[in-house]
Amino acid sequence: MKVTPIIGLEAHVELKTLSKMFCSCDASHFHAQPNTHTCPVCLGLPGALPVPNYTACEWNIKLGLALNCSINKYSFFERKNYFYPDLPKGYQITQLQAPFAINGYLDIDSEHIRINRAHMEEDTGKSQHTVVDMQDMTLIDFNRSGVPLVEIVSEPDIRGSAVAKKYLIKLQQIIRYLGISDADIEKGSMRCEPTINLEIITNNGQTIYTPLVEIKNVASLSGVEMAIEYEIKRQLLEWQKSGIIKTKTNKTTRGWDANKLQTFLQREKEGSADYRYFPEPDIPPLEFTDEQITKIKQSIPELPDAKKQRYIKDFSLSDYDATTITNDFETTQVFENIINISKDIKFPKFVANLILGPVKTYVNEKQLNISEINLDPSKFAILFDQTEKGSISMTIVKQFIIEAIDPKFDIMATLQSRGLFQVSNVSELEEFAKQVIDANPQAVKDYQKNPNSLGFLIGQLMKISGGAANPKLAREILEKVITKGLK
Amino acid sequence: MLDITTLTISDCHDLLVNKKITAVEIVTSYLDRIRKYDPEIKAFITVTNDLALASARVLDKKIASGQPVGQLAGSVMAVKDIFLTAGIETTSGSQLLKGYIPQYSSTVYQRLLDEDAILVGKTNTDTFAFGGSTENSGYFTTHNPWNTDLVPGGSSGGSAAALSASLCTFSLGTDTGGSIRQPASLCGITGIKPTYGRNSRYGITAMASSFDCPGAFAKNAADLALVTKIMAGADIHDATSSPVTVADYSQELNAQTLSGLKIGLPKEYFGMGIDDEVKQRILDTAEFFKKNGAEIIDISLPNTKLGIAVYYILVPSEISSNMARYDGIRFGQSQKGIDDLLQYYLDTRGEFMEPEIKRRVLIGTYALSSGYYDAYYTKASKVRMIIKNEFIDAYKKVDVILTPVSPTTAWPIGEKSNDPLAMYLSDVFTVCVNVAGLPSIALPCGFDSKNLPIGFQLIGNYFEESKLFSIAHQYQKLTNYHLQAPKI
Repeated sequence: MKVTPIIGLEAHVELKTLSKMFCSCDASHFHAQPNTHTCPVCLGLPGALPVPNYTACEWNIKLGLALNCSINKYSFFERKNYFYPDLPKGYQITQLQAPFAINGYLDIDSEHIRINRAHMEEDTGKSQHTVVDMQDMTLIDFNRSGVPLVEIVSEPDIRGSAVAKKYLIKLQQIIRYLGISDADIEKGSMRCEPTINLEIITNNGQTIYTPLVEIKNVASLSGVEMAIEYEIKRQLLEWQKSGIIKTKTNKTTRGWDANKLQTFLQREKEGSADYRYFPEPDIPPLEFTDEQITKIKQSIPELPDAKKQRYIKDFSLSDYDATTITNDFETTQVFENIINISKDIKFPKFVANLILGPVKTYVNEKQLNISEINLDPSKFAILFDQTEKGSISMTIVKQFIIEAIDPKFDIMATLQSRGLFQVSNVSELEEFAKQVIDANPQAVKDYQKNPNSLGFLIGQLMKISGGAANPKLAREILEKVITKGLK
Repeated sequence: MLDITTLTISDCHDLLVNKKITAVEIVTSYLDRIRKYDPEIKAFITVTNDLALASARVLDKKIASGQPVGQLAGSVMAVKDIFLTAGIETTSGSQLLKGYIPQYSSTVYQRLLDEDAILVGKTNTDTFAFGGSTENSGYFTTHNPWNTDLVPGGSSGGSAAALSASLCTFSLGTDTGGSIRQPASLCGITGIKPTYGRNSRYGITAMASSFDCPGAFAKNAADLALVTKIMAGADIHDATSSPVTVADYSQELNAQTLSGLKIGLPKEYFGMGIDDEVKQRILDTAEFFKKNGAEIIDISLPNTKLGIAVYYILVPSEISSNMARYDGIRFGQSQKGIDDLLQYYLDTRGEFMEPEIKRRVLIGTYALSSGYYDAYYTKASKVRMIIKNEFIDAYKKVDVILTPVSPTTAWPIGEKSNDPLAMYLSDVFTVCVNVAGLPSIALPCGFDSKNLPIGFQLIGNYFEESKLFSIAHQYQKLTNYHLQAPKI
């Protein structure tokens, strides 16, 4: 028996435009006082009409282009009709027949994941089930109503939970590079709904498919991975038990319980819901010229893959370092801002080590964003110069780059006052070496038999230098003095 | 003694700014007349008595202190109750919105207020403008001032009757399938349905978004030109409003001479159940234009007969969606004490929607359903394009098209109210204009043997309102049908 999961992903991304999709209300809603970012349009009051946010449409096209999509030059909005209290107009304005972007793809490692579409729509309000005056209530906050959403629908080309997660991470990265959304799953600005079933080739060579399941309410990337893993196992067991296979009508919706780490049945679809889509008569069709599309294309910044390749090629960063930096758009911005200050070909590698080492540890501990801390390029340059001269140790560099977040921190003065300059002066080091050799004849003999035992003597030299000796030079000089003697 | 309520907009304005009369006197004259005649006519759902007087006092102070006043200072307007008026109950003629006080005003109403027009009341309409007689109103039926046993037409019947009975200087209506032109015709007044997109729809409860067209009624074409000039123009709140520049209709009233004018007479508009007297009167009107130098050209618009079918598929489709927001959750009347969500929807909409709403929501929901969508909606949209192109072709040969408005004069209240299909068919001469989105002016051209007004319409090419006002003005300079008033 051979079991292959077949996974498609729907991702909804809230655009961070200033205003909402069809009115001029403030589109930000996270932690805003309920129902303060509302107007007749997003409350669905009688007589109110939607006017499309042109920036949001352009951003949708921009994302489409970044996902290798074709752009529909002639596009229009449609109404998806259904009743729910958080949907004030009784329909959602969305796109079905002519979405802005179609037929794209993302390459994840060696996997080619096709993207069916990236279309524009509006978010709904938020229902909050709560208790007021001892009574169960549902309160509705319309701040989110009408916030621009782009829905990105993949083809069912994903064959495992790990690829699904990588696909979402890549999507998230691209969106953040474009600067069109925070794409934060925890905060709800990106939402993912996997649809999954299994292809099973039985031992007698028969191929069957298990019923489709759409998973909702997954609120983290690891949740997506776990939910898919869970569902793969559950569907296999279910099939082994019941033998039920996919039909045109037996798709179900399951929720993800992040505490129990399992999916649960939410809705059995009695046939498919009829949303009675039709062209939105309140909004004329939108047409984009080749020139407009080209202009949008030109506004797309260098995307993660290209940037990574450039870092490896131009800066000699390792694949790992280049990947790690380009994973996060803000880190690339910080990195590029710093390396601009010096033309030395070794500088980018030096900066990358610091950003991925002490700086990363620091921001993680403080729970800060890398762009929120003051990383002064000139201070990186000073530390780089001193390191190149051999006057300071990497230990000091790592420590100082953090201390230098304080703008008042003066690197040169502090090195001076704390006496942290390394002794790289050859004659001084030769003097130390002589002292160490004289005081440790046995260790010198040991070294002559076993060159690996030099560490003890280096340790002694560091000790009498008060830790200030340049360890690399100290080694070289000890070796030289022992083998060749002092001149 | 001067009867203020017979004055046109410009007459009233001149007398007011020259301090011959005051705004309070104007408003009081109309309010007195409303008190006297509206109990019988029933044109108004709400009379904004105190507010109108307060506005009049403000206007009088402005004039007394020498401040500039708007072009409509001295005019009293009646507004169809589907235009949102901030702070003033707006019912859309439906029990659904009984008690609903809007927070904002419709764009076109606001533009008129900004020119110092004074609102005297909100007028009756078929529920959400669904109908052609005001009999579908969730409140009461309006009576035709020419004969109170008869309907005034609809859906803007309240506004038409109010103007016809001189209860206002001008009034506002909307025309989705004839709802301005038909009551104008049945009440013997002048009404304009501008090009789709000429007037903003923002703040008017939607019927069918791709058809709805706000417009006005006035005592003559000249008044209508002024009101329309103020209402028209792009609105940032309506994506379908047109950026085409608004001509100065008032300045261009004499721009079009009848001599040399090419008038198309489509043969399809003289069959389909048209009353003989109406037909003859319209043909006589064409003859009148001919005598005055116009050229009458017989034309054909062969798909006119499909207009009703297209209209009654596409319009209910849009209605079924536009009515979804009336769920009783954020505004309007609702059934209380129901815990189950579905039951809440069913009971609220079941209780407060008038039968005509339910009928159209059902038709539209059916037409948009999966499996039927292509056969109905898609097909009807294609025929819509064909009808539109027929008109576009016609305008290569003619300047305007002259047709009847209603196949009959006003009919008795109750005669068709149990036969929705007969009611739908009375829209036969008006709907194609909405299907195509063209402008059309309706104006009176005589009376039938029962002394009931007959009207005709001049259908113009896109955004040629100015030409329509000008032709209508020339016609009204030569005739006096528009000066006839019902004896009430």
